[in-house]
Amino acid sequence: MIDVVGFLVSWLTLLGIYSILALTLNFESGVSGVTNFGKVLFYGVGAYTAAALTVYLVLILNGFDVTKTPPYSVEGIVALGQLAGQNPALNLALFALSLVLAFLAAGLLGYLLSYPILRVGPAFVGFTLLSSGELMRIFLQHFEPVGASKGLMSIPGPFAWVPEPRARELAFLGVVLALLALTYVVLDRLVNSPLGRTLRAVREDEVAALCLGKHVPRLKATVLFIGSGFTGVAGALLAYYLTAVNPGMFVPAVTFNVWAMIILGGMGNLRGSLVGAALLTLFDRLLTFLTPQLGITVISPDYVRWFSVGLLIVALLLLRPQGLLPEEPVRTPALEELEVALRGGGSG
Amino acid sequence: MASILEVNSVSKRFGGVVALEEVTLSVPERGIVGLIGPNGSGKTTLFNVVTGFHVPDKGEVWFRNQGGMERIDGLNPNEVFAKGIVRTFQVPRLFKNLTVLENLLVTPWNQLGERPLAALRRGWEREERELARRAIELLRRFDLLPYANTRVSELSAAHIKLVETVRGLMTPARLYLLDEPAAGVEAGVAHRLFSLVRELREREGLTFFIVEHRIEILTRYVDYLYVLHNGKLLAEGKPEEVISDPRVVEAYIGGG
Repeated sequence: MIDVVGFLVSWLTLLGIYSILALTLNFESGVSGVTNFGKVLFYGVGAYTAAALTVYLVLILNGFDVTKTPPYSVEGIVALGQLAGQNPALNLALFALSLVLAFLAAGLLGYLLSYPILRVGPAFVGFTLLSSGELMRIFLQHFEPVGASKGLMSIPGPFAWVPEPRARELAFLGVVLALLALTYVVLDRLVNSPLGRTLRAVREDEVAALCLGKHVPRLKATVLFIGSGFTGVAGALLAYYLTAVNPGMFVPAVTFNVWAMIILGGMGNLRGSLVGAALLTLFDRLLTFLTPQLGITVISPDYVRWFSVGLLIVALLLLRPQGLLPEEPVRTPALEELEVALRGGGSG
Repeated sequence: MASILEVNSVSKRFGGVVALEEVTLSVPERGIVGLIGPNGSGKTTLFNVVTGFHVPDKGEVWFRNQGGMERIDGLNPNEVFAKGIVRTFQVPRLFKNLTVLENLLVTPWNQLGERPLAALRRGWEREERELARRAIELLRRFDLLPYANTRVSELSAAHIKLVETVRGLMTPARLYLLDEPAAGVEAGVAHRLFSLVRELREREGLTFFIVEHRIEILTRYVDYLYVLHNGKLLAEGKPEEVISDPRVVEAYIGGG
């Protein structure tokens, strides 16, 4: 018997996290023209910030000596498992603190990285960020305090004290969806404002925007701060959802999966990102479910998945290059004024 | 009349190529001044020096501010814009995937709603409505209103040129540098554009400095004309005197 509710909860949780990634990437790359091939960098920084903060503080606050019992050691992992459900207030407080710090850590990194990327040409922005992401992954692989290649495990989630697993999952899903809603509202307001219009102008022609007195470097730094900040939050959610982080989770393919979502949904259209994330995560889930049934043994089911996603994007780019939902004009009160003027012109 | 822009013996070279050599000129306040010259004579380079895209190797550029003359060479383009100088480009640089109305609305400098926190909190709507009314008024004056919601990439070349010039009028700038406003547009549109330049000078006290190849149109509207040739100032004066100057005729036709 297939567990439909279980499938829906796990799909919606992952969808929520991926939607935050797709929304922010669309804000950065679709709207503002910063080719972010390093999404996974900020995602990983958020995840590791939340994970490391939580496991270390849980152990320290419970009187463990982390120099003797580090959270990545077997004793540490066992201790974390026992402590996880004992103090709801601590779990929730650490969760809240982690979200804030993950936002700030990833956001500040984005802000700082905007400095070098503005000094290489626009074509190299993507590659600089891509390689920065790989640098982080390789660094994490060898950085003992966060478990090196094994990563961190047994991260106490915010609702680890809830005895009923389904209730725990639902509570977490609620938090994920609330944070997704917050991200959407913030980005939607920014996109449909004079700032959003200026960001699109910078995307279209940096030199002309500069000529109009737009402070292009500051705008890009702002975009990367906001976009990376929310990406960090998504990373933190991932860490709590999986209760584990390791460097292998943050390979460049993750970034390009999110790119596929925004290309599919429509560059520059935030609702499109939600559609793209929904379609691709569903596609992904279904393929994970179906490929073993197909009995393909010659190649790994993983490759079938990637191959199908690639095929989907090529087909879409040929048939509908603007994506499922194309970019719309910036929604501001100016449109109402225009409507009044056009109607007045028609009658007079 | 007092000058609003002064270029003092400016030189600029690119490698071995001398683009400008000891160019000195001035634009009087509320003037309409033309700048002509054969291809490659340095007209656009001069505009680039004035608007901060190039730093001159030698010489100075001064611009009149409220207080008095202020040196502006070496400033960044966005700083020059903030001082009150706006330029259009030889090849129009509009934001192609934005609508005509958005292209106008994006132009004014330092809008409240461009600040991230203000954009989030709202409160910029009033300013936005005022800008929109101004933009709509301008579009109506140029019969562009039906295209307000059209993406620029879908406009004809003539309309693009027109929109670029009209866009400049959204700013509080006092000096307009127009780089070939009439290139590629039909004579009727070109004349309407230059009539508008006249009108803006009378009504708003604006100053215009215009590079143009279509001398037959330009000379009817400018009060003073400079001629550049191989990076050097060749002639200056009233338009009718300048175009009958044998040196100017030779520079254009003789190709020497």
